[in-house]
Amino acid sequence: MNLLAKLLGVPSEEYNHWQLHWLSEDTAVILTTLGIVVPAALWFFWTSLNRVSTRARKLLLFALRLGAFTLLLLVLLKPELEFQKSQSLRNSIAVLLDNSESLSIKIKTIADESSRIDLIKNAVDANVAYFESLEKDFNVDYYFFSDDIEKVAAGTVKNTYRAHRPYTDFTRVFDALVERYPAQSLRGVFLFSDGADLTQEVGEISRNMTATLKELGSPVHTLQAGSNVGFKDLAIEAVSAADFGFVQQPARISLTVFASSMGNRNVPLVLKEGDRILVSKIIEVREDTKRFETELEFTPENAGKRIYTISLPKFAGEVIHINNEKELEINVVRDRIRVLHLNGRPSWDSRYLREVLAHNPKVDLLSFFILRNLGDDVQAPVSELSLIPFPSNLLFDDYLSSFDLTIFQNFKYDPFIDKKYLGNIRKYVENGGAFLMIGGELSFQGGGYSRTAIEEILPVSFRDNPRPLVDTAFQPVLNEEFSRHPILRLEKDAELNQGAWRSLPPLQGINIGLFPDKSAQVLVQHIAEKKSAIPILVTGNFGDGRTALLATDSVWNWNFRNVGGGGSGRYFQRFWNNVIDWLIAEPETRRLQLESDKERYRAGEEVLIKFKLLRRNYQPAVNATAQLILKPLKKKSAVKTELKTDEQGGGVFPFLPAAEGFYTATVAADLDGESLTEEIMFSVLQDTAEFEKPLVNETLLKKISEITGGKYHFLNGEDDLSAYRFANPNVQIKSRSWSFSLWDNWWVYGMVVGLLVADWYLRRKSGLS
Amino acid sequence: MRIFFFIFGCAFFFVAEVQSVEAAGGSYSDLTLPRVMYRGGNDNPRPEALRSLLAEVARRTSVEVNREPIAMNISDPEVFRYPFLYMGGDAAFDSFPADDLKILRRYLNYGGFLFIDDNSGRVDSAFSAAVRGMISTLFPQNPLGKISREHSIFRSFYLLNAVSGRTIVKSYLEGISIKGRTVLVVSSNDHGGAWSRNKLGHWNYDVLAGGYRQRQLAIRMGVNIIMYALTLDYKKDMVHLPIILERMRRYNPR
Repeated sequence: MNLLAKLLGVPSEEYNHWQLHWLSEDTAVILTTLGIVVPAALWFFWTSLNRVSTRARKLLLFALRLGAFTLLLLVLLKPELEFQKSQSLRNSIAVLLDNSESLSIKIKTIADESSRIDLIKNAVDANVAYFESLEKDFNVDYYFFSDDIEKVAAGTVKNTYRAHRPYTDFTRVFDALVERYPAQSLRGVFLFSDGADLTQEVGEISRNMTATLKELGSPVHTLQAGSNVGFKDLAIEAVSAADFGFVQQPARISLTVFASSMGNRNVPLVLKEGDRILVSKIIEVREDTKRFETELEFTPENAGKRIYTISLPKFAGEVIHINNEKELEINVVRDRIRVLHLNGRPSWDSRYLREVLAHNPKVDLLSFFILRNLGDDVQAPVSELSLIPFPSNLLFDDYLSSFDLTIFQNFKYDPFIDKKYLGNIRKYVENGGAFLMIGGELSFQGGGYSRTAIEEILPVSFRDNPRPLVDTAFQPVLNEEFSRHPILRLEKDAELNQGAWRSLPPLQGINIGLFPDKSAQVLVQHIAEKKSAIPILVTGNFGDGRTALLATDSVWNWNFRNVGGGGSGRYFQRFWNNVIDWLIAEPETRRLQLESDKERYRAGEEVLIKFKLLRRNYQPAVNATAQLILKPLKKKSAVKTELKTDEQGGGVFPFLPAAEGFYTATVAADLDGESLTEEIMFSVLQDTAEFEKPLVNETLLKKISEITGGKYHFLNGEDDLSAYRFANPNVQIKSRSWSFSLWDNWWVYGMVVGLLVADWYLRRKSGLS
Repeated sequence: MRIFFFIFGCAFFFVAEVQSVEAAGGSYSDLTLPRVMYRGGNDNPRPEALRSLLAEVARRTSVEVNREPIAMNISDPEVFRYPFLYMGGDAAFDSFPADDLKILRRYLNYGGFLFIDDNSGRVDSAFSAAVRGMISTLFPQNPLGKISREHSIFRSFYLLNAVSGRTIVKSYLEGISIKGRTVLVVSSNDHGGAWSRNKLGHWNYDVLAGGYRQRQLAIRMGVNIIMYALTLDYKKDMVHLPIILERMRRYNPR
């Protein structure tokens, strides 16, 4: 060793061991090939030396060739010499203490109602001497574990050990052990647990965990805390539902009800939103079955984040009550915007609007054209017509609330709709629906809407006029005050937007005699002679809904006529999409916009509430006051604060929730004579997963010990572990090393060349070719 | 006898007066059907066709019409005020100038509709050949094809399962669709001839072979074509389907 080290210039005192490595990856292939080729080549070479006169020269030539072959073999096998400094490693014993929340479950069979964790604490206390004796020969490492391991000093175990972690995953725990203990230095593991691993199926052990346990290579002695004897519990476990649902579309929640020692009884399972019961179901619990899979189906009616509660009754004597109830959040969205479009008669205006609506993938369109009036003579029996009766009862009594937007386009309600249904439209808008009336002969006064509910909900009052529709060509003019209104935004840039409006072809025909209410927003108007302004596009609010009117039936000119003038129908489509978005109050069209930076937070995480306040004309409300109320969903206590908006009309409020659960944030502001309110919900996670599968998993613990060659033990309060013994072989580990390549250096290649040159020279001298 | 002439004269005056008021009384939003003018051939062999069809549309449907005849060239800047054009003829015509074809292509691609009516009543007429030449230049990648009986044109107002006309040269209509919308329809059956009636209400041309029923079907097809241009595939909406399919199952006229 010393001589070799000196020869290679390695300080011998720093290393106590050397080793030869062959770096070639295909050693077997190379050796097999060379084992056949080299002897054959040497034999041919030896026979070619017959003409060499002296035996000594013959042997020398053969030796040279043999030497060259040997060196080539070395180069192919890539030998490397490694000098190592090795030392003995002290073996380890790991003591794993489960600190997941399920360990807090009380054990009914024990008279003093100890919990599972108390059993473990007692066992560890009772065997302190044994563990101390192990420390003479081993490193005894203590770990708390749930879905990861946390090393703790032996002296601090007693004071810091508590059941609080929210999730148990043994596979990840054993993975962490494999990583922490290299070179087989872990000689044994004590696993104190109830075996309630949330990732494992009942009665099974996953392939991943089996592979990890084999890789660990040490016996795992499992010590079971608690048992399932007399374990009485009714629980909701494995709730599965999509994060989002659609308004008016059935949503489904799949779940498993777990029952242990509950006897034979029928149990009601209830789904509620707030205090309102959405659906209930009877679960027939039977003693011989532990799990009952079921589904709850309901239809969300309103968009937004919704909190639903699934609950089972709480029975006396149950070990855990927290798992009888489960809350879940579903973000209910519109799958498509439901639009009811009624046309009094087919026209180019209605045709181009229908095309926009029908081609908008967000819109679910139901349109009706009145193709025939009572006085028309169709010259055919009804059976030869494609006309269908107008379903006014269904539309305006049963299904009106299912529409997000109702459009009357040049539509006279009589005789198709009973006047009483106009009152239904008022209620529909009051409750958050949207209504649009588009002009024409049969609209407004011409449609007989004067002094009806429709006049009430529209932001104008009608003045009777013998000619309510005048045939005038005009260029609509934007009302500068509302230049930032979302409906008018054909281009994002303000100047480009003005240009876009100026580029549109003129319109023709105006419904006159419409006088905007005080709260109406006149967005587009016609400046007639004598500078009087005639409203063309007016928007307003009624109750919780929005309404608008367009006092002309020639907006289609912005599409087809614009194409004829070299433009396109792009602005026409954008205009209508803007109108729809505003009417159905899409979030970006609201004057008070409220959001949180996330939807779900972990306990202790800061929540950021952001809001933006816009004036009636959609200009930022600078330095305006708004009140923010933050409230846990099921509690009365609330955080109230007053906020001022910045120069952009925005505000941010950081908030640290005091506890887990669902919260509502409400911002309210009085602005321009209107009360604006928005509410959002967010959740601070309360993880009760540990109580979804609270049973002791004896099978899993037994299988772990069986696979690893360890022992299974049931903790009964009188536990003596002194019989557990561990092998303690001498394990060497490399602390330092130095490698020297025996092939990749100049003298190996020099020797190969030298031998071949000498071989060639001697062969020439001997008269060989 | 004098009284008879007096009454007859008054009645005639009344009819004529009413018709002239109606003709002149169109509102800006009433449906107007311009006739396409072109060079060569005969672009107006059925002068009363559109007026007659519009009268039937007004009589039978809720659509308000402007019966005043209008004729214009494709190059007329006003052509985009009228999304429906009628092009009739009975003889070969000069090829459309390239600029006109460009305008017509744009017109049809972006929402316009053209009904071409071969008034010759002959198979493979010179007008038909000229039309087909024009269409192949207009839409070289989109050849003229038969319009299926499932098309909305056959159910946009009347339920139809046959193609009629003054003569029945072809038992089908042909057309071109772009992005799901039929933009151009060609009839070989002289629909204009079947529609035409004079101011006294008499039919201008006899229909060949089919009589009253054939003429009625031709008028119904005219109404349906206009309704299709105005409402597109409205009659294919789900809300109509059950009733329409049931009626089509029961009703199978020819």
